Amino acid sequence: MSDHLPKAIDEGLAGCHSCGKVSPAALGRCPRCGSSLHTRKPASVQRTVAYLLGATALYIPANLLPVMTMTEWGDVMEPTILEGMVEFWRREAYPIALVIFVASIMIPLIKIVALGWLCAAATGRVKPSPRVLGRIYWLTELLGRWSMVDIFVVSILVALVQFGTVMTVSPRSGALAFAGVVVLTMFAATSFDPRLLWDQLDLGENSDTIPPQTESE
Amino acid sequence: MRRTRIARATWPQPSNGPHRVACHFCDTLHEAPAVPEGTAARCRRCGVVLYQNRPASLVRTTAFSLASLVLIGITHSFPFLVMKSNGLQTELSLYRAAHELIREGSVVIGCGVGVFTTVAPLVMAVGLLYVNAPLLWGRAAPGARVVARWTAHTEPWNMTEVFLLGVLVSLMKLGSMAELVFGVGFWAFAGLMVCMAAAVAGIDRNELWDRLEVADE
Repeated sequence: MSDHLPKAIDEGLAGCHSCGKVSPAALGRCPRCGSSLHTRKPASVQRTVAYLLGATALYIPANLLPVMTMTEWGDVMEPTILEGMVEFWRREAYPIALVIFVASIMIPLIKIVALGWLCAAATGRVKPSPRVLGRIYWLTELLGRWSMVDIFVVSILVALVQFGTVMTVSPRSGALAFAGVVVLTMFAATSFDPRLLWDQLDLGENSDTIPPQTESE
Repeated sequence: MRRTRIARATWPQPSNGPHRVACHFCDTLHEAPAVPEGTAARCRRCGVVLYQNRPASLVRTTAFSLASLVLIGITHSFPFLVMKSNGLQTELSLYRAAHELIREGSVVIGCGVGVFTTVAPLVMAVGLLYVNAPLLWGRAAPGARVVARWTAHTEPWNMTEVFLLGVLVSLMKLGSMAELVFGVGFWAFAGLMVCMAAAVAGIDRNELWDRLEVADE
């Protein structure tokens, strides 16, 4: 704790998000690449929470509404994402069922919960270890895109399965809601500023004498 | 932690050095000496990679983005998958995957699929080539800094690998009901995924921006 390393913000400096050059934040724009300069991303927690609320709201229709309509010889099937997974499981295609379960159901949920928890940590409501937080943040940035796989499956089936009266596939509104969840969680991950987590940590170290007001076991 | 005393840069340095770097993760400010090729400098506080010296970065990025561009051309000229069922035949192409969705009324998802599988890889390949190739001769193309910035912003939206997983899942879904044949477009797209990843892995952000700065001096 005594080993105090200097932070860019303490000297009024900011590292550019695009090119990495360290310049005075007062410049407003990076002199090298022209990106806007911030010591911290503006309204980072508010924006992240807003995107997360949007994603949470869409997560419900994304899982309840059918993602496509499959018509085979007049039989109409309207599977939701979960039903699509169960169908693979029933046909004993376990690896693919697992891939869909992880990519479409687990990852969006983990992302929403993890980013929500990071926001709570960035505003000092929870105090976990920064290393754990780092791992979580890295994971959310890495995983998000893979959730898009089910949207691509719908697009591929719609393009391929066009056999007139025999068999056709068309998209349904669940797919839109699901794509919305994925895109909103990606925006949430990019609008979050991990440096806030370390600011909280420094704040905690400097105010050791003042106990937090609400202490729960 | 890996420390090094070698301070010989392997590329020309801008005159307004010496550099400092702020950790993008915890905002700790560091002096930024050159590190030997193939090694990385890590943050003293949180341990994330601050910057790397990637060997032959310009040549690699140029070569792989050029290869990506050629493969994009091939993947759009030949069918991806051909599906035969009950004497009828349909073809999947990247264009059709997006266009059929739009035709069926899912405009937003259709445009999304088009951006993630067609526009983003194209922007990446052209952008990387435009910025890196002239730098091989020590020149910066007009507007190279803006292009470099936008190419970096496009990266998370390039979802070639996710689309390939989508193809795999679709195959499992359709395999039992129809005959499916891989086209040249599919193999070109698989190659594109590899080349794109290699081009992005070749980028050395420090070297790129230093060279861009030197080229304009």
